[in-house]
Amino acid sequence: MSVEMELRAAACRLLEEGTVDLFIGWERGSLPASAVPVFITDPADADRLVFDITCGTNPAVYFTKDHRQFDGKRVGLALKGCDSRAMVQNIMEKQVEREKVVMIGVPCRGVLDRRRVALAADGREVLELSDLGDAVRLSGRGFDVEAPREAILADSCLACAHPDASVADLFLGAPGGMEDAGERRLRRVREYEALSPAERWERTVLEYGKCIRCYACRNVCPSCYCEVCFVDQNDPRWIGGTCEITDTLIFHLIRNLHVAGRCVECGACARACPAGVDLLLLNRKVAIEVLERFGEEAGMEIGAKPIMADFREDEKQEFIMG
Amino acid sequence: MLDRTALGRFISVLAGSYDVHAPVTACDGSFEYAPVRTAEGLDGTRTVTGLSPKGIFFPKDEVLFQYDGDGIRSGEASCRPIAVWGMRGCDARSLALLDRVFGSAVQKPGEERFQDPYWKARYDGAVIFGAVCVKPLSTCFCNWFGGSPSSTEGMDVQVTDLGDAFLLAPVTPEGEELLGRMDMLTQAADTDLDASREVAHRAGAMMSPPFSLEGLDRRLPELFHDPAWAGIAAPCVNCGACTFACPTCHCFDVQDEGRNGRGRRLRVWDSCMFSSFTLEASGHNPRARSLERVRQRVMHKFSYFPANYGERLCTGCGRCVAVCPVGFDIRKVLRGLGAPRDLKKD
Amino acid sequence: MSRVVAEDPGRFLRTFDLVFEDPADRAGFTYLPGQFCEISILGKGESPFGIASSPTEDGHLRFTVNRTGSVTEEIHALREGDIVGMRGPMGNWYPVDLFRGGGVVIIGGGFAFTTLRSLLVYLLAHRSEYRDITVIYGARSPELLLYRDELAAWAARDDLALHLTIDRPVDGWDGLTGFVPSVTKSLAPSPADTHAVVCGPPVMIKFTLPVLTELGFPDERIFTSLERRMKCGIGKCGRCNIGPKYVCIDGPVFSMSELRENPEPV
Repeated sequence: MSVEMELRAAACRLLEEGTVDLFIGWERGSLPASAVPVFITDPADADRLVFDITCGTNPAVYFTKDHRQFDGKRVGLALKGCDSRAMVQNIMEKQVEREKVVMIGVPCRGVLDRRRVALAADGREVLELSDLGDAVRLSGRGFDVEAPREAILADSCLACAHPDASVADLFLGAPGGMEDAGERRLRRVREYEALSPAERWERTVLEYGKCIRCYACRNVCPSCYCEVCFVDQNDPRWIGGTCEITDTLIFHLIRNLHVAGRCVECGACARACPAGVDLLLLNRKVAIEVLERFGEEAGMEIGAKPIMADFREDEKQEFIMG
Repeated sequence: MLDRTALGRFISVLAGSYDVHAPVTACDGSFEYAPVRTAEGLDGTRTVTGLSPKGIFFPKDEVLFQYDGDGIRSGEASCRPIAVWGMRGCDARSLALLDRVFGSAVQKPGEERFQDPYWKARYDGAVIFGAVCVKPLSTCFCNWFGGSPSSTEGMDVQVTDLGDAFLLAPVTPEGEELLGRMDMLTQAADTDLDASREVAHRAGAMMSPPFSLEGLDRRLPELFHDPAWAGIAAPCVNCGACTFACPTCHCFDVQDEGRNGRGRRLRVWDSCMFSSFTLEASGHNPRARSLERVRQRVMHKFSYFPANYGERLCTGCGRCVAVCPVGFDIRKVLRGLGAPRDLKKD
Repeated sequence: MSRVVAEDPGRFLRTFDLVFEDPADRAGFTYLPGQFCEISILGKGESPFGIASSPTEDGHLRFTVNRTGSVTEEIHALREGDIVGMRGPMGNWYPVDLFRGGGVVIIGGGFAFTTLRSLLVYLLAHRSEYRDITVIYGARSPELLLYRDELAAWAARDDLALHLTIDRPVDGWDGLTGFVPSVTKSLAPSPADTHAVVCGPPVMIKFTLPVLTELGFPDERIFTSLERRMKCGIGKCGRCNIGPKYVCIDGPVFSMSELRENPEPV
């Protein structure tokens, strides 16, 4: 049985038995090669669930926005590796009650990035996409091409260190992931670190200069749930609202620090960005720094303390001690 | 007619008197409006840019005024006139809609309204070279609003790409006058006109049939409390990407910055999708719930704006559908709300 | 800033009188009760405030400001002689022409009495054009009633029925005790040829409107002044709408019949 069929069966059973009141998964979207979150209450609707390369949205975000929508309900959900880590992180931070969720892990081999799909099709609109395993087939009006799978995967997936759920009530199928992803993750950060300060500034400004301060990145992030975000405060006003590079960089640097040790590098921010900023450039750097400094990563173990809220005597403190 | 090989010269001559903007494909594959002085990177094969050209006339951030010890100085742009090459019909029409809000176009007949000098300084003297769409995308639905791949509303000149040459058809007297000053143009032949009609016709045939929104603006208020909104709004995370990519969305924030006697007042893009949009100083928020904000967006575009301006605040460019991280599709929503009640089927 | 008066011992409410720097500005500024202005503190921001003075009072514009955020905090720190920026008058006004020849009942709560003061002073300046005038004004406690020196003078008039009420009994208070909706129920005038204007916190309005309806006031003769977060104040920024109506240009004054037609709840 394919993972997709196992998922439908699991969701149907959970709803029929009344173990959950609601199941969140993905269903076919109205756009070609897309999937969208679906909220199922009727076991008969479990057949709408899909799981494939198009299932990019991180459903953990629904638990930290508009909180009241799940109050009291038991929710089942399908989770890729990054999604489950985001859920675990939110459970650690007491935003979600563990007993109120049933987490079904699904094996992930990466999700597509629509900009990279367009690039692989030379800017032409892809109307059909087939996952052939190591390659994908892209076709549209007047063209039909094959591209390596990696050419259309989101960068977050190409450098994903945790493709499978860190914590799950039930794990379907065989583990996912891809070779070299962990190395790629490190390599990206080392490449950035190897730049001279002037080069690094240029690289950062080039990337973040595209930002239009729409805050889609913040709003799709499961870890960004402050009732009043620092950018919206005006007493004191911490940050200007323009797209001048100083204002923009301050926003991203502070947001990165706010999600330090909490960001699971799911890439939802980068995929949501309407201006195509590679937001993981800095997020990933911070995540690796947290890993090196504290030996831990976000969302791995429910019982663990949130990394930045914990202190151990043997932590590196060279910046104090000199 | 403009020979393809002469496009570069056309742009650079234009750039002599205008700040020229055009859709450009960058090396990272992105397709966005950028200032240009040559034809390099100009891409007529891709239909819709990621972000709309509204930012050229209604910047995402602008200084309304500055102040210091010497007084207050307006930030009103006295800029060079703007020319845009390659604007699609949906975008050109969007600017015409924004002109109803900010500019000289009459809003409610018989009523005086405030006109925005910052907008007018940019839009009034602008020249828009529109482009006939050769390949509509599956996300295009301009024909729901009376548009088509060959719409001319909002354009001064309509341009059809015929392969080795462009056909430039004047739409306004300003467009006609400007074409008269460009010496690299030649008269179009009847065969050229036929070819351009063929391009427009072929593109039109690629569009899916429109869904009629007739009467929807009056029916929507009756559906304000309909239980369907819960399902419609469920996947939305209020990220706001739709409003920023949209060519007709124009909600803005006004922010003051200042210290030690000098500072400025800014206007920046804002979004009804944000929870802080209607948050009052007392802490009360009339649209605290996501559902209320999603409903507001749909109602504003398809009921309130029509009630005040007689037009829907949408031109079917499809960017909101393409950019939404959760796949919210306004077409699906409108079909569901517009049809006799059978939403579950969608 | 020509005059600054603290209204409450808690120092959250201050009344400011402003005069124009340039007499030409003063000459060109005409307004009616119910309108508002946007007051700017450069570098901090701008906020809308209902005009509390009446156009019949020459020489100054009066505003009462509740200290609740960064701009109002700055305004509260101002002294006589300080300069502020102002845009206005904005919005629509209480339809004093419609009221003419009939009775008017003004119902206010807390510090929402600002534009009601403007209306009352205006009506009194044109007293013969209106039949009976009734005012019902309540606050949580006596020191939260605005314009207390004027309230005493108005109470003494025999061409005006003024009823003041506070929420709970307090030593030294010899006025009424009770919430505005219940005081309205017992003391409102007959609805015949009478218009009602209601301004106050949302909860007060919510419970007062049904009382007026019960007493026989039709929707088209009940008016209220609404608030929403505002920025441009001229119907462009898209923020202050209630349904298709912008509070800044179609309001802030609305009749109940207009509000019932509006799909969006107030």
